[in-house]
Amino acid sequence: MDLHDNIITNTKDVFSSMLGMEVTPQEPVAAGMTHLKSISGIIGLAGSVKGMLAVHAPEKTALAITSGFLGMAVEEINEDVQDAIGELANMLAGGVKLTLTENSSEIKLSVPSVIFGDTYNVSAPAKAMAFIIPFTIEGGLFYVEFHLIKEGLGK
Amino acid sequence: MPKKILIVDDSSTMRKIVTRSLRQAGWEDCEIVEASDGQEALNLLATTSVDLILSDINMPNMDGIEFLRQKANLPAIKDIPVIMITTEAVADTVEKVKELGAKGSIKKPFTPDQIKETLGPLF
Repeated sequence: MDLHDNIITNTKDVFSSMLGMEVTPQEPVAAGMTHLKSISGIIGLAGSVKGMLAVHAPEKTALAITSGFLGMAVEEINEDVQDAIGELANMLAGGVKLTLTENSSEIKLSVPSVIFGDTYNVSAPAKAMAFIIPFTIEGGLFYVEFHLIKEGLGK
Repeated sequence: MPKKILIVDDSSTMRKIVTRSLRQAGWEDCEIVEASDGQEALNLLATTSVDLILSDINMPNMDGIEFLRQKANLPAIKDIPVIMITTEAVADTVEKVKELGAKGSIKKPFTPDQIKETLGPLF
C-alpha cells in the first residue's frame, strides 16, 4: 500500500470508528497551499524517516470534527478544538508510522503542535516528497498534508 | 461495587472518547479519574486507589513507557493492571510494554467493541 492509499485508509478508519462520519477523499494537490481562518495539527517524524504529517481544517470543519469526537455541539474555536485536531493528526501519524516501519525505535513521533490563524502557509523542505490530500465530510472540507525526507528520496 | 478506572492521556479529547467508549461498552457505572501524563498518574495513585489503568504511550513530561517502569517499582501499585491505548501499536512497542507489565494494547483509532473485547476479561 502506498502512502497516499495508507493516509486515505487511515483517515476513513479514524472517522468511521471514532466519529461515526464518512469521509470522501479528493485528488491530491501540491503542498504549499494557503490556509484561511483554519486550525492545523502537526506531528513531526524523526529517525530513519524524517518529515511531518499535518491536518488542516477550516474553522467550520474543525468545529464539526470536534463535535463528532466529543459527542456534543462545539460552537467556538477553543482548547477542545485545538486538542481534537492535534489528536486527529496524532492518530493519522501513528497509522503512517505503522506503514513505514515494523520497528518503532526507527521512527519517533512528536507530540502534536497546533497552529491557527486568519492566513498562514506551511512550507515543505526543498528535498521533501510532499503532498496534500483533501477530504470532504458533512461539515466541510479538510486537508491531510504529508512531508517525507528519506535517504535517496527527493534529491 | 463499581470499578474505578484511571485514564492517562495528554489529550483531553481522547480522555473523553475513552470514557464514552467505556460507557458504550456497558460499564456505565465505572468511576473515571484522569491524568494527563505519567507523572500526574503516579502522583494521583499515591493517594487514590483504582482497579484498572488505561494509558497512552506518547505523552510529554513522562511517557507511558517510563510510567510503566516506575509503577513496576512501587509495591503499592505495581499489581494494578494497565492496558495501553496508543497510536504506537508497532510490534516491538507492544512487546516492550508487555515486558514492562502491561496486560494488553489497544490501537487508536478504536471502537467501543474493541474496548469491550480487551477489557472484558479484566472485569
